[in-house]
Amino acid sequence: MTDFDRYWETVDDELRRLPARPVLEKVPARTTDDYTFYDVWLTSAGPYRIFGYLSVPTGPGPFPAVLETPRYGSVNQVPHHNDRLRYLVFTVAHRGQRRADTPFAAAYPGLFTRGIEAPVSYVYRGIVADCLRGAEFLLSRDDVDRDRVAVSGDDELALFTAARRPGFTALRVDGPLFYRILESQPEELADHLRVHPDAAGAVADTLSYFDPVRHAPDVAATTLLAADDASWYEPLAGALPDAAIYPLTHEDAADNNTLDAWLAGQLGVEPMTRFR
Amino acid sequence: MRVPEAATIEVSRPVDFDEFWAESLAACPALEPSFEYAPALSTDTVAVYDVRYTSYQGLRVAAWYTTPRHGAPPYPALVTIPGYISEPDVPRRWSELGYAALAVAPRGKLRSNAEFNPGYPGLLTDNIADHHTYGYRGFYLDVVRAVDLLLERSEVDADRIGLQGSSQGGGLGISTAALRPDAIVCVSAGAPYLCGIMAATRLTRSYPYEEITEYLRVHPDHEPLVTETVSYYDGLNFAPRVRAPVLIYLGMEDDVCPPETGFALHRALPGEHPLHTYPSCGHHAGLPWVMPVIEEFLAGHLKPEGR
Repeated sequence: MTDFDRYWETVDDELRRLPARPVLEKVPARTTDDYTFYDVWLTSAGPYRIFGYLSVPTGPGPFPAVLETPRYGSVNQVPHHNDRLRYLVFTVAHRGQRRADTPFAAAYPGLFTRGIEAPVSYVYRGIVADCLRGAEFLLSRDDVDRDRVAVSGDDELALFTAARRPGFTALRVDGPLFYRILESQPEELADHLRVHPDAAGAVADTLSYFDPVRHAPDVAATTLLAADDASWYEPLAGALPDAAIYPLTHEDAADNNTLDAWLAGQLGVEPMTRFR
Repeated sequence: MRVPEAATIEVSRPVDFDEFWAESLAACPALEPSFEYAPALSTDTVAVYDVRYTSYQGLRVAAWYTTPRHGAPPYPALVTIPGYISEPDVPRRWSELGYAALAVAPRGKLRSNAEFNPGYPGLLTDNIADHHTYGYRGFYLDVVRAVDLLLERSEVDADRIGLQGSSQGGGLGISTAALRPDAIVCVSAGAPYLCGIMAATRLTRSYPYEEITEYLRVHPDHEPLVTETVSYYDGLNFAPRVRAPVLIYLGMEDDVCPPETGFALHRALPGEHPLHTYPSCGHHAGLPWVMPVIEEFLAGHLKPEGR
């Protein structure tokens, strides 16, 4: 077993030892005739109590389902009305984000490099675990249609989740965070390396555990990668068993409609636009 | 088929609107600012400071303040105003262009939430039944006081202060320019939020406006109260007081801040103001095409060194 495999097996082992003990609270303000909405709390690695939004369509089910992995930022959007109408949706808030910020409140800037000096201390180890716990919660529900389950996110947290939790039929990644990150060097990483130039090797080692290319062969889901520059993304697409690249136009309403239609097609529902 | 530019968006203006905001401003205590140099965030070209100041009801508000290391003060200055769910970026990029820049984290944002933390979602409906106690009251004033803080800085040219933001940052650019008409030289307001608020809740199912729809689902009898409260905070009611030129840019298919409300703002502003619209664009409102337009607009009015 490689260090990479051992690292992630340890995360899985930790989660296996911790029951999720879900608590669901219905939210009347977000519940309509078409769907029922819940706030959800789960135990993740650490142990740490994380948060999520769950919306369940009205009807007998089973329903096509979407796991939304968290964005980079303190706030996750509540699942949109259009998605609640079509899917059973679960949105994970990872440790440190609002609603999952006790006892740890993430700083922005700051979260991305927290503990980055070693793989075991890196904050994203726990954040990925939180996404995996969210996947387990969604996939364990009886009202989820096993043949129509997607994981979708702003970045590769969705890819890591699909790689480590079989059961997803579709994967959509709307942009990169970790892919070729030593080349792209987002501001937080550049700041860290400027202040700690001697840490460059250790940082590179830590980030290698989060290289989406290394996770890609384990993804079984049909995948769509949205990208500014398709050619830059090709090595990742090539490492995925069944992937396509959508080149973003940055006409974001048009892009969102295309991405919505792709997911709807994968899950057998009608596409919807948010601007009607 | 929606025709956003042709829509009629009307908001009633409370008779005591001006008095309410005059009283609100008068209630703000002394700023008592602190500036702490942040070496880990500073670069060879930009100095970064962690700033705190006192605002409405005595709350301490955080901001990132950046100044150029090149050129000579006094610098033109910008207050950059964050969106609804975003945390303020360290505004180094603006200082690289020659501005002193203050990126304010109004109350409820992560570094300003020790005493006020309604959450997201949450802020838009926080105490919305009463305009006196509405959560946004202090939030609006926190941005105004950020302008006042810049006016006290010796390295800032008090005659060259502008505002920049998109979404909530665009909406609060309007309210701030209205409440400090003598200080603000120009405003860049993208996809402006908090304009035509109640109409927007009927045009979209997207957040944050969806928060009001949810609130009224549970409190349907509060609609008159909510309508009254938000009329004190609606950009369309601030617009007639704005004297600075305002750059407005809109995504013509923006589901978050409906373009109908952006056109209504443009019509409500006195005088001529540049308006850029981007077909097939949503809440990003034309990024990345609009960024050069913003930079050119601000530079034209604020004249940073070298431009």
